[in-house]
Amino acid sequence: MSERAKALEAISLSKDFRLGRGQVLHAVRDVSFNLYRGAVVALVGESGSGKSTAARLLAGQERLTSGTIRLDGEPVSVSTRRAFRRYKSSVQYVFQDPFASLNPIHTVRYHLERPVRLHQRPGGSGGMASPQKRTDVSQQLDTLMEQVRLTPARQFLAKYPHELSGGQRQRVSFARALAARPSVLLADEPVSMLDVSIRLEMLALLDDLRKRLRIAMLYITHDIASARYFADEVLVMYAGQIVERGPAEEVTQQPRHPYTQLLIASAPDPDNLGKRSQPPRKSEEAATVGCPFSPRCPLADDRCRRENPALTTLSQTRAAACWHLEKTGGGTSASS
Amino acid sequence: MSDTPVLEVSDFSVAYRTPHGDVRAVDHVSLSLGAGEVVGLAGESGSGKSTLAYGACRLLRPPAVITGGSIRYRGRRLNGQPGPAELLKLRADQLQRLRWREIAIVFQSAMNALNPVLSVRDQLLDVIHAHMDISRADAREKAASLLDLAGIPRNRLRSYPHELSGGMRQRVMIAMALATDPEVVIMDEPTTALDVVVQRDILTQIAELRQQLGFAMLFITHDLSLLLELADRIAVMYAGQLLEVGTAAGIKREPAHPYTKGLLNSFPSLHGPRRDLAGIPGSPPDLRNLPPGCPFVPRCPHATDACQEIDMGLKPVSSSGDPEHVTACPFVLPDKAQVVTS
Repeated sequence: MSERAKALEAISLSKDFRLGRGQVLHAVRDVSFNLYRGAVVALVGESGSGKSTAARLLAGQERLTSGTIRLDGEPVSVSTRRAFRRYKSSVQYVFQDPFASLNPIHTVRYHLERPVRLHQRPGGSGGMASPQKRTDVSQQLDTLMEQVRLTPARQFLAKYPHELSGGQRQRVSFARALAARPSVLLADEPVSMLDVSIRLEMLALLDDLRKRLRIAMLYITHDIASARYFADEVLVMYAGQIVERGPAEEVTQQPRHPYTQLLIASAPDPDNLGKRSQPPRKSEEAATVGCPFSPRCPLADDRCRRENPALTTLSQTRAAACWHLEKTGGGTSASS
Repeated sequence: MSDTPVLEVSDFSVAYRTPHGDVRAVDHVSLSLGAGEVVGLAGESGSGKSTLAYGACRLLRPPAVITGGSIRYRGRRLNGQPGPAELLKLRADQLQRLRWREIAIVFQSAMNALNPVLSVRDQLLDVIHAHMDISRADAREKAASLLDLAGIPRNRLRSYPHELSGGMRQRVMIAMALATDPEVVIMDEPTTALDVVVQRDILTQIAELRQQLGFAMLFITHDLSLLLELADRIAVMYAGQLLEVGTAAGIKREPAHPYTKGLLNSFPSLHGPRRDLAGIPGSPPDLRNLPPGCPFVPRCPHATDACQEIDMGLKPVSSSGDPEHVTACPFVLPDKAQVVTS
């Protein structure tokens, strides 16, 4: 992976939310990863694991409590409006719900024209350049619609969101994100609101776009099975921390962290009917002391409840945060 | 499964009246639900699966109109009547007695189905008082025991919906549906907005409750992989029509309709080698403007000219040997997917 060009680097990102009465929620704790041009990194976890907050930090929508984000090697600061806009030209966000993220009173054309005019100024991104010629913008829109395969473009550009199906709406969201010609796309559960039968096609479309446009992609999902097929690297997140990371095929086939194992056991899998062992029933809250997964973990002991394990390197590409890696790996030694 | 179904939908049709003509959301659908049986209804958004379920309880409002068919209900508590109750002919007060007490629904998106300004207990009490004739004290005890049933700690009784997680809210919805010990429970996408671990918990819970209470269940979802695990029989719906009905095992083993095959090839699998996934290209048809013959033709890899003239009635899949495995597609053989010219 190292030969690939780094697009975005997240270095020790942390985000705390103050809840009042002196309570603090550590939504993201010391999370580091890299996004490479033309590659997909999947961030997998359940609701509340902090995966969306991590993406919002990368998108510049939340202030970091600590940590650094680097874009193309340069530290990112989005303290001013102009800097934020420039940053957004490179890093775009796709929202989960295509029913809520498009404005119902505007046409598809309106949704796409604005980012094209804002982000694709002739002569680079500096200052308020003269408005683009109408024909240029129009041509751009056609290209975008072509890229997300909403054709004939003219017909779809005139439509309002309510006239589109869920899949078509999400394509408009993709087109809107691509309108800025980003180098990084942060896709927050881009297919979880869509029908199962539509999901594959949408993931195939995203896959095609990142290859053709060499986009670095962060794919956020709770569906680890889709991450196996779609992502190069998988990061499993629990209670704000990365608990396991590695190449998608390895993590899904030989999961080492008990939480990853639970995720995999929970996924519906018709190829494996009747063979499953029942995962533990009660979902309990994450612990605030020790390993956050310890209340739900079948392997938890006193040490787990006392001390939070750090990510241990398992191989050049894999790491997991667990005190009992020697028990989870099927006999192989866990030390690096 | 017993011989006489508890709920029998025959030749049922629902249309939405629009200025541009009728949209036939459910088109001559027949489906039965045996006592204690789990029937899965699979289909994409807009295929009419929820309309079918709500129509069967007469919960639809205009512009939806039931245009034909019959819904017969034969519950164990209908002692006063000689034959089955014909739901489409019941008066409002008779329906009121039947709904929830006999047929309960777990509505889609528990996030929105609960009242945000009432506590969990008040909402449970509402249901209990509306449909059961018991004292206030008993009702309170009942509300608490329902939470036990659904696996929610009793101290959550006074919680409001926003204080609960998505999975908890879904459990409350299930507890409410089971409040009156119904004979039939309709689950409309009960786990769709939940993540996989919570979904697994809820499904396990539902399976346990069904064993314990013995209700029959119509489980509606767009995710066929869930049904393969959960259901006894599966009905696949597309554009308001049933394309295939069969046992879960039969459908898994030899799906007959190209659409069912497409659905089966739509979810990534975690185990075994990576398969080539195809999904189903294209999008569901516009119900206002359906193609003649089979509605799946525009997306079907095996479509021929003959498909535009076929009769969409369900016929037994000859090779499977299971008389209950029926499909609307006469051309494609199960399993080997060979196209036969008729």
